[in-house]
Amino acid sequence: MTCDTATLAVNLGGLRMKNPVTVASGTFGYGEEFDRYFDVSLLGAVTTKSISLKPRAGNKPPRLVETPAGLLNAIGLQNVGIERFLSQKVPYLRKRNATIIANIYGYSPEEYAELARRLEAEGAADAIEANLSCPNVHDARTAKGAVLVSQSCEAITVYTRAIREATRLPLYIKLTPNVMNIQEPALAAEAAGADGVCLINTLLGMAINPETRKPRLANIVGGLSGPAIRPVAVKMVWDAARVLRIPIIGTGGISGAASAIEFLLAGATAVSVGSMSFRRPDIALRIVEGIAEYLKRHRIADVNQLIGAMQA
Amino acid sequence: MRYIQDCEIVAHDLVAPDHWRMRLRSADIARAAQPGQFCMVEVVETLYPFLRRPMCLSEIHDDGFTLLYKVEGEGTQLLSRRVPGQTCSIQGPLGNGFPIAPEVERHIIVSGGIGVAAFPALARALADACGRPPEVVLAARTRDLLLCADLFRSMGCTVHLATDDGSAGEKAYAAQMLERLAPGPGTRVYACGPMIMMSTTAAVAARAGASCLVSLEAQMACGDGACLGCVVESKVEREGEKMVRVCVDGPVFDAAIIDWEAHNTAYDL
Repeated sequence: MTCDTATLAVNLGGLRMKNPVTVASGTFGYGEEFDRYFDVSLLGAVTTKSISLKPRAGNKPPRLVETPAGLLNAIGLQNVGIERFLSQKVPYLRKRNATIIANIYGYSPEEYAELARRLEAEGAADAIEANLSCPNVHDARTAKGAVLVSQSCEAITVYTRAIREATRLPLYIKLTPNVMNIQEPALAAEAAGADGVCLINTLLGMAINPETRKPRLANIVGGLSGPAIRPVAVKMVWDAARVLRIPIIGTGGISGAASAIEFLLAGATAVSVGSMSFRRPDIALRIVEGIAEYLKRHRIADVNQLIGAMQA
Repeated sequence: MRYIQDCEIVAHDLVAPDHWRMRLRSADIARAAQPGQFCMVEVVETLYPFLRRPMCLSEIHDDGFTLLYKVEGEGTQLLSRRVPGQTCSIQGPLGNGFPIAPEVERHIIVSGGIGVAAFPALARALADACGRPPEVVLAARTRDLLLCADLFRSMGCTVHLATDDGSAGEKAYAAQMLERLAPGPGTRVYACGPMIMMSTTAAVAARAGASCLVSLEAQMACGDGACLGCVVESKVEREGEKMVRVCVDGPVFDAAIIDWEAHNTAYDL
């Protein structure tokens, strides 16, 4: 790599990242799936697939469908569970010397706290990202009016406090965009002790096959990701950045260095690359290189000078 | 070894209504490829359509490979407009190919519709490894859609044709054709086609005591084990997991481990 890493390093709420680029949970497996394409330790951090206390089988297929400039997914948080994560997945990332942001999912504040406690005790994470916003773990037909934790500021407060008390690792709360005003949940997370927020999780969506009149996902509804959602995500980062003191991980439809820089300009301290890794497995590393090239071209000494630097 | 390469399109021909054959140049991918493996094809350079399309490596040559595909939606529609001389980004080879077992007495390929794409490379590998070419059941909806018959014959395969409407060969389904060939315990059946065709073919093979390998198709985003989008339900739990990924656990599976009933229910959407 040609990057001068000194100019790319950021501090994400207490986590030093060698560059501002990580990957979105659920789009990068446990990191090892991408080893054959590049050295994942070159990223600012690897954010792993949501881990729960017990393994989860996930939803029935079909689980994904392509939509204009993106895709809908309803994977349902299929994961190996904390025990296998610790014994089989973490050793690879540690051996690689990758920075690990471990994403966690639970059914109660106590479960989130337990996950955070285990990860810290085992030295299995450098930071924790709590997924309070997965749209895919309820059956739309039975869970009427299912509410995501992060649609309620009261719930965010309770969950964030519980995790905060369980760990001293940097803690980020991943929020849903399916709210009236993103500033409210973001401020609730900050007030409850979060070190950062991740914006945005997927937008709720659905697709129907007109020929069969059936939904295209077995779960009926799913989460929309990909370049289609990028403008929504950039605005939410901009909205949140104006009221928060804690840093933001910006994510949603990043497809190259230019769109990653959009998020930094809107106020994100770091970015996570999501669905685009499906299309180009090495895109996250290409984005690190692209940001370095951009800094050089614009004669900017430090990537931190880009954060919130949109000129309106 | 996996590659992501911009491969030159060497030839691209319409071989039947909505069915195209595309030959691409890549000595690297060809060298690494096994029959039954697949690749992820970038249909456009822009971000819509967003995902690559999984396609099996139909034929493997010294200097490249051939894809055989059916235009089903916007992605394949756009792909069909690419012309020789242009390049196309290919990620592969991916997944597990067919095991080649020369000790098996009798090999029968059973193909339904565009499922035939999985088999020319396999037929050649079996002919080379076993000293005699496999038998081929080639079934399709109608006469125009019986593809690759001459290619299989050129390898010395006996080809049994069948169509749903009787316009060519026998008026029969693929599984019925297999039954007429009287497979036995020393037979290995290789099936690829619509799910219902594979499940009925697998049932015929199981009743005869024959082993059966199927090559499955699924919607997938990454092709490489990360997205968990392409799972099918398995009858066998492995480390507590019941779902298998078509991309990295397959696409070739022992038919006996697939939960056909669950699959047919899921895809009745």
